[in-house]
Amino acid sequence: MKINKNKNGTKLTFEIAGRVDTSTAPQLESAIKEEISGVKELVFDMDKVEYISSAGLRVLLSSQKTMNNQGTMKLINVNDEIMEIFEVTGFTDILTIE
Amino acid sequence: MKEKKKNKFKISVVVKSVSGIVMLLTLFSLVVGAIGYNGFTEALLEQYSNDAFNTANTAVTCIDTNRMDAYAGSKGKTEEYLDAWNKMETLCNTEGVTFIYVIRPDLTDYAHITFLFSTINNNSGYDSYEFGYVRDTTNDEYREKYRKLYEGKSDKEIVIRDKGYIETDPHITAMIPIKDSTGKTTAILCVQRQMETLVNVRNTYLHKIIFVLIITAILVIIIQSIYLHLVLLKPLRRITKETSRFAKENVLPEKKLQEKVKNNDEIGFLASSVDRMEEKIVTYVNDLTKITAEKERISTELSLATKIQASMLPSIFPPFPDRTEFDIFASMDPAKEVGGDFYDFLLIDDDHLCLVMADVSGKGVPAALFMMATKIILANYAKMGKKPSEILSAANTAICSKNREDMFVTVWLGILEISTGKLTAANAGHEFPVLKQGDKFELYKDKHGFVLGGMDGMRYKEYEIMLKPGSKLFLYTDGVPEATNSEKQLFGTERMLAALNEQPDSHPEQILKNVRKSVDEFVKEAEQFDDLTMLCLEYIGKNGK
Repeated sequence: MKINKNKNGTKLTFEIAGRVDTSTAPQLESAIKEEISGVKELVFDMDKVEYISSAGLRVLLSSQKTMNNQGTMKLINVNDEIMEIFEVTGFTDILTIE
Repeated sequence: MKEKKKNKFKISVVVKSVSGIVMLLTLFSLVVGAIGYNGFTEALLEQYSNDAFNTANTAVTCIDTNRMDAYAGSKGKTEEYLDAWNKMETLCNTEGVTFIYVIRPDLTDYAHITFLFSTINNNSGYDSYEFGYVRDTTNDEYREKYRKLYEGKSDKEIVIRDKGYIETDPHITAMIPIKDSTGKTTAILCVQRQMETLVNVRNTYLHKIIFVLIITAILVIIIQSIYLHLVLLKPLRRITKETSRFAKENVLPEKKLQEKVKNNDEIGFLASSVDRMEEKIVTYVNDLTKITAEKERISTELSLATKIQASMLPSIFPPFPDRTEFDIFASMDPAKEVGGDFYDFLLIDDDHLCLVMADVSGKGVPAALFMMATKIILANYAKMGKKPSEILSAANTAICSKNREDMFVTVWLGILEISTGKLTAANAGHEFPVLKQGDKFELYKDKHGFVLGGMDGMRYKEYEIMLKPGSKLFLYTDGVPEATNSEKQLFGTERMLAALNEQPDSHPEQILKNVRKSVDEFVKEAEQFDDLTMLCLEYIGKNGK
C-alpha cells in the first residue's frame, strides 16, 4: 500500500493505492492520526485501492467518527470492487461517497 | 581428545615462531659464511700463487734457457741435463712444492705435452714422469694457458683446482714461459703446489660456522620456547581454559581473566574481551530465558484460548440428533491461534432455530475477545424472542456503548421457523448468503445494514425466505471468497459457487468439505491469511427424509 497525502489549509486529501488490509491498515491509521487535528474537510481518493479488508474499514469508520465532530469526510473515485465491499458491509450508509 | 588437540596447537605456535627465527639465522650464517669463505680463499690463493711463482722463477735458474733444444735432444742422459734435473729436484724438495716440471706442448693445437724435466717432492707419494713422456693436455683451460704463454700474450698463468677433484688432491699450478735470449718461448715451466692447508683452513672455518649456527639455533629454540611459553602460551592456556569452562558451565568465573592474565599486549586485550563477552552472554542468556519463558507462557495461554474459543462454538454434529427436520454442519479455521470469526446456532424454542454467521474486524486476540462478547450478546437477545432486526439493533447499541477501539463485527442472523420453513433474516454488513432452492446454489443478494459496533442507533431491515424441503443455506465469512493464492488472486464468489455446486445434493458436511478442498487447491502453499468459517443448513421439513 502507498499513501500520498496533500494538506491544503483545513482540507486534507489522502491518495491511497494498493491493498488496505490487516498488515497495512495501521500505517494508514497513524498517517491519518498525525494530520487529522484541525482538519475540516477530509478526502480519500480511492481510485487505486485494490482491496480493503475489515481492518481498513475500521480505519475509515474511525476517521468518519472523528470527522463527524469536526467537519466533513468524503470518499472519491471509488471503484466497483471497493464499492461492492462498502455495499456488503453497509458502509455506504455511513460514508459520503462521490 | 580435547587435551590432545590443545597440545598440538601449542607446539605448532612454538614451532612456527622458532623455525622462522632459525631460518633467518641460517640465512644470516650462509651470507656471513660465504663472505668469509671467499675472503679466505682469495687471501690464501694469493699467498699460494705468489709462493708458487717465486719457486718457478727460482727453478728457471736451474736450467740454461738457451739450451732447451739441447735438453730436448739429450734423451735425459747428458751430464748437462742431469745436472739441471738434480738442481731442480733439490729445489722441489727444499721449497716444499709437489711438482716442478718443464714441458713443450705441440704447437699445432696444444693437445699434447712432452715432459722435458719432471721432478717430484719425495714426500708427495707420486712418481715423476720419465724424460720425453707425452700425454694429453689435461683440459681446455690448460691448453688455452699454454697457448697464451707461447704466443707471448702473458708471462705467467695460474690454474687452481681446489674443488676436491677425484683424481688429484686440491692444488695450484703456476706456469711461466722459458724464453731464450731472443725472447722466444721455448718451453713452459710449471710448479704445482698442494693446497691441503687452504682446504683444511677453509673446512675448519665452515665447520666452525655450522657449529656456531647449530649451537645458536638450539639456544634460540630453547630461549624462544620458554619465552613464548611464558608470554604467549601460559596466558593463552588460561584463556582457553576459561572459555571452555564457560562453555560448559555458562556462569561467570569467580576471578576475572583480566586479573589472571596481566599482559599489557594483545593477549591482555583478548582476556578483557573474553571477560566482557562472557558478561554479555550471561546477560543475553538471562534475557533470552526470560523471553522464552514469557513466550512459552503466551503460547500456552493462546492454545488454551484456542480451545476455549472452539468450545464456545457448537462443535458436535449433528447438534440436535432428535430433530429430523433440518441438518446443520459448520466449521471454523482461524488464521492465527484464535480468530474473530464465529458461527452459532441455537434452538430458541421447539419451533425456532437461530443461525448466526459473524466476522469481527481484525484478527488474533483482540478480535477473539470482541467475538466472545458479540456471540454472548447476540445469543442472549435471540433467546429473549426478539426478531432478527431487533436483535441486531439491540446488539449494536450494546456493543457501541463500550467500543473505544472502533472495532466492529459483520453479522448475518436468521431465525428459521422449523415447522413452516420460513426464514426471517437480517444482515449487518455481512457477506451475501448462498441459497439452494432448486438444483443449484446461488448468491442471495439480501438487503444490507451497517456493521455492528460502528455507529450507534442503526436500524436493520428484515426479510423472509420460504425454504422448501431440500433447500440449503450456505453461510460464510469473507475468509472464503477472499482466500488469496501466491499470485495475490482472490478465490472469489464464482469459485465458491462452483465448489458448492459440485455436489449440491450431498450432505452439509460434504458440501463444506468440497468448498474447503477447492480453497486449499487454489491457495496451495500460500499462508492462510484470514479466518475461514462456513455453515451449511439443510431444510428437510416435517416429514423427514
